[in-house]
Amino acid sequence: MIASVLPVISPGTLLAAAVTSTAASLWLLLPRGQTGAAERRSRWLGGLLGLAALGCFIATGHRLGGLGEETVFLIVSLVAVISGAATVVTRSPVYSAIWFAMALAGVAGVLLVLGAQFLGVATIVVYAGAILVMFLFVLMLAAPAGLAPYDRVSNEPLLSAVAGAVLLGILSLSIGRLTAEPPLCCRVPSKAVAITGDAAPAAGLPAVAAMSVDLLAENHVARLGGELFGRHLIAVEVAGVLLLVALVGSIAIVSRGASADGTVAPARRAVP
Amino acid sequence: MQDIPSSTLLVLVPLLPLVGAILTVALGRTLGSRAHVPAIVGIAASAAVAVTLLFGMVRQVAVGNSAAQQGQQVQPVEMVTTLWEWADIPNAQAAGGTTAASFLIPVALRLDPLTATLLVIITCVGLLVAIYSIGYMHGDPGYPRFFALFSMFVFSMTMLVAASNFLLVYVFWEAVGACSYLLIGFWFTKPEAAKAAKKAFLVNRVGDFGLAVATFLLWMTYGTLNFHDTVLSDGTAVPGILGVTRLADASGYVGGAVGSAICLLLLLAACGKSAQLPLHVWLPDAMEGPTPASALIHAATMVTAGIYLIARSGPLFVACPGALTLVSIVGATTALIAALIGTVQNDLKRVLAYSTISQLGYMFASLGTGTLLGFSAAIFHLVTHAFFKALLFLGAGSVMHSMGGVIDMRRFGGLRRVMPVTAVTFLVGSLALAGVAPFAGFFSKDEILASLHSRGWPDTHGEHQEAVPAGGHAMTAGSFRLVSVTPDASRLAGGDRGSRLDALNQPATWRLLFWMSLVTAGLTAFYTFRAVFMTFTGPTRVPEQAGHHAHGAAGSAAHESPPVMTIPLVILAVASAVSGWWLFSTHGLATFLAATPSFTAPSIASTATPPVFHWDLAIQGTLAAAAGIVVAALGHLGKRSDGPQMERFLGPLETLFANRFYFDQIYAGLIVKPLEFVATLAALIDRYLIDGTVDLVARLPLALGGLVRHLQSGLVQRYALAGVIGMLLIVLALVARAMG
Amino acid sequence: MTPAPLVLDGLVVGAILFALGLVGILARRNLIVMFLCAELMLQGISVSLVSWSRHHGDWGGHVLVIFVLAVAACEAAVALVFVLQAFARTGRLDSAAWQSLRESNLPRTIDHELPAIDTMPLRFPKLAPAGVEPPVDQDALLEREHV
Repeated sequence: MIASVLPVISPGTLLAAAVTSTAASLWLLLPRGQTGAAERRSRWLGGLLGLAALGCFIATGHRLGGLGEETVFLIVSLVAVISGAATVVTRSPVYSAIWFAMALAGVAGVLLVLGAQFLGVATIVVYAGAILVMFLFVLMLAAPAGLAPYDRVSNEPLLSAVAGAVLLGILSLSIGRLTAEPPLCCRVPSKAVAITGDAAPAAGLPAVAAMSVDLLAENHVARLGGELFGRHLIAVEVAGVLLLVALVGSIAIVSRGASADGTVAPARRAVP
Repeated sequence: MQDIPSSTLLVLVPLLPLVGAILTVALGRTLGSRAHVPAIVGIAASAAVAVTLLFGMVRQVAVGNSAAQQGQQVQPVEMVTTLWEWADIPNAQAAGGTTAASFLIPVALRLDPLTATLLVIITCVGLLVAIYSIGYMHGDPGYPRFFALFSMFVFSMTMLVAASNFLLVYVFWEAVGACSYLLIGFWFTKPEAAKAAKKAFLVNRVGDFGLAVATFLLWMTYGTLNFHDTVLSDGTAVPGILGVTRLADASGYVGGAVGSAICLLLLLAACGKSAQLPLHVWLPDAMEGPTPASALIHAATMVTAGIYLIARSGPLFVACPGALTLVSIVGATTALIAALIGTVQNDLKRVLAYSTISQLGYMFASLGTGTLLGFSAAIFHLVTHAFFKALLFLGAGSVMHSMGGVIDMRRFGGLRRVMPVTAVTFLVGSLALAGVAPFAGFFSKDEILASLHSRGWPDTHGEHQEAVPAGGHAMTAGSFRLVSVTPDASRLAGGDRGSRLDALNQPATWRLLFWMSLVTAGLTAFYTFRAVFMTFTGPTRVPEQAGHHAHGAAGSAAHESPPVMTIPLVILAVASAVSGWWLFSTHGLATFLAATPSFTAPSIASTATPPVFHWDLAIQGTLAAAAGIVVAALGHLGKRSDGPQMERFLGPLETLFANRFYFDQIYAGLIVKPLEFVATLAALIDRYLIDGTVDLVARLPLALGGLVRHLQSGLVQRYALAGVIGMLLIVLALVARAMG
Repeated sequence: MTPAPLVLDGLVVGAILFALGLVGILARRNLIVMFLCAELMLQGISVSLVSWSRHHGDWGGHVLVIFVLAVAACEAAVALVFVLQAFARTGRLDSAAWQSLRESNLPRTIDHELPAIDTMPLRFPKLAPAGVEPPVDQDALLEREHV
């Protein structure tokens, strides 16, 4: 819709603007050791630029018109992306973790809209419920009081931001090209063409789309469970073993750091 | 003993000392003060085997000679044992590159009269010296090392004389040189000893170079290096250089330029090892080594390797009369000069060292005559000299041992009262050395003088001239004729006037050499008895260094050496007294040696003379010796050895002699200093030019690396960033390609 | 045939999350934040996988995301242990505290001096001390009397 409003702007220019403003916004937002008014100014500027970048990405060609599903998607994806950006740029690691929880909520919403109910819920439960709590626990255990100097500076902020933005640009570019080509499910595998030497689609080959299932049909979780414990049973078992190994390994590494009487060895404070 | 084949016995002779050396090395620390046991047992067993072999060889020669009575030709007696093939390269180019010959080097040991004689001398004298060393080296921290080296030397020397191949000879030529080096530098913490060892090694290198080049030339000329005739695996027979086949062939040996070159190079090698002019400078300094080592290596055996080499290669030399004459000239000159230097030396061991050089010069002079008499006289003198010079050295060692390491004759005197056994045996050795009848040296020196005389005045020895075979031709002017290069051989060598040296071969030369030798005989007697009188007569004086031996009466610190040292002295004294008379009177040695293959070549065998005792020469020699002894007695008998000496009447000549004719200084100025200059120059070039270039090459990558080294900050996030940027560049490149 | 609805939008969201996580990994110095950013990248991947799954109409993406969740849990457990060990050694959660891999003759990279933060005095609410009887407010009592 927006693209149709701005017909004079080519998609390439839009993408370039999006990439540039993403990089600029991230660079402005990342901690660079500035304080006071300068910091506040760059935060504002970076936030505005980031919003502009989001607008550009929304405008790079996808109709997000109408209400319903698509509006919900827009909202939750905005929550995920903005919270993710905040995770990256927030100075305090605790706030960072909380922003990450917010991003997880947004991602869970995106997954729900995309028809993955189980995964959405699992993300909330596993990440927000377990992993994130673990992160926060470690933070409480380890983080010194106040804002550490290394939280106030970044490693090569400009280069990192530019690299991330360029990666995003390339990914967007390649995703945008998908619209110009028929979906994978409807294409004849090029290998078959190569083998038969026949340019025309081979009639005998069944279309991949014929095998597709409607993920949004009834009994979604039951069918996912059936798939998981049917075709992927061994992989599930391997994943279980992996979890066990990780558990044992973590305990082993931690207990090596502790001395015989169970206390953690006193930290060898390095001179910064 | 009859059941064991001679070849096995022959192998045992070098093998037993080698085993002894290895055992001493392995067990030396365990055995401690008994470290001499393996070496002495090995050498003793080796000596017993050598004597057995000698008797077997004597019997064989006797049988051959009795069979030859009808044929009038002495049959060569030799026995070759091939242990294994060291090198066998088929179709190697040789003989001037025209024909393909097989480069076959067998590890072959030979036994013939010459080898058997030398084996017995080496092992028996070695045994006596080894026994003496038990006493002499007692308490030395390097006691096991000494016996290991000593045994190793006996192994190398026996291998040297038993090897039947010029390459093997070269190998053990170097091996005895290495043992000599290690024994001279035995007390390596002493700077003089280390320096002397280095000098001996370096001077010997010059000679070894000669032997190496001579070996190359022999291979190029004759297509083989073996002494004996060999049969290749494909059945072709290769006549050895000193094999029976070639010896019987009148044109078997190359003369001319090539032959002379070979002979001169061999002479150079012999000069190096046997300390002849101009390479004699190392031997006096070699006296820094332990006295037993000096006695065995630098008096009795190793220094005679040059004599052995020339005697063994006799047919080669006889084909080149110029080179042969040069051998005599070198020998006689060396003998005279060394004797002159010896007259003013005050170090007892150095007197003996110069005497050794002088006596070796005698042997060279005798070898150079190229007659059977000359060769056998040289070997005869070698044998007797081994006895009496070892005796003299061991006696000097006994004196030195008793005097607490002092060897300067001016610091002691009248020792005959302190050390009666040493004094008497030393006197016997001196009489033998001086050539007083009937001691050993008299007879051998008489034969040498006779051989020289026969060349200077051939008319008086004319009985063998008729024996010259028709194949030979007269070489030079004068009445003497020598069987020499045949036309064929000289053409092969590139013309029969290849060697201008042949002009030296004049009777006048030989007469001069004879008179030189006679003068030397007188000088020999003089310096020998000068040493005897200075050491053993006059008022008894002992240096204070002898004090550490004071376990006898408090007043007489010095004492006679223990029996383990005096008994070998007595045995050697007996040998020095009787061996000459016995060997001469029976003509055993000369007859025996005549069966050596090298001496059965027609060119040598035809010069055989009936054994005659030359009364005139004997009287001349005795007169010379008597004159020397009388002058020495006038100067030194019964006088204090530290007083003014009669040599001061020589005036400026004394300075010349005392400074050894300035040989060392001349060498230092002509060779050492320029070489040092070149070496310094090379070192500078190496340090600044070459090293600088290399450093530059090394600094370039360092500088380039310095430009990018700051990227290696150790911060993992920077590495990750670099990785991501690299990945992005690759993806961008792919995208750019995909886009068109 | 156009892709199924919202697939492309899901892919873009996934890409944005992934890129944000990457920037965080590269730029942030706090080890915990770095791991949060790694998790953010995994979330981006999950969104993309689910989008592709919807696009293809099969369960593959879903199953993969479940495994991603499991592996992420393992990774988080082990990585946090490492972070704790690292903290025990240096007393900091700073990734730049580890520079041993640098060239031997290079100096240590040290952050430039940062200006002090204009801190505001922290105000905490005052709570009644626990375990003791609070003092009686006589005025309140009086009030009550009146009520």
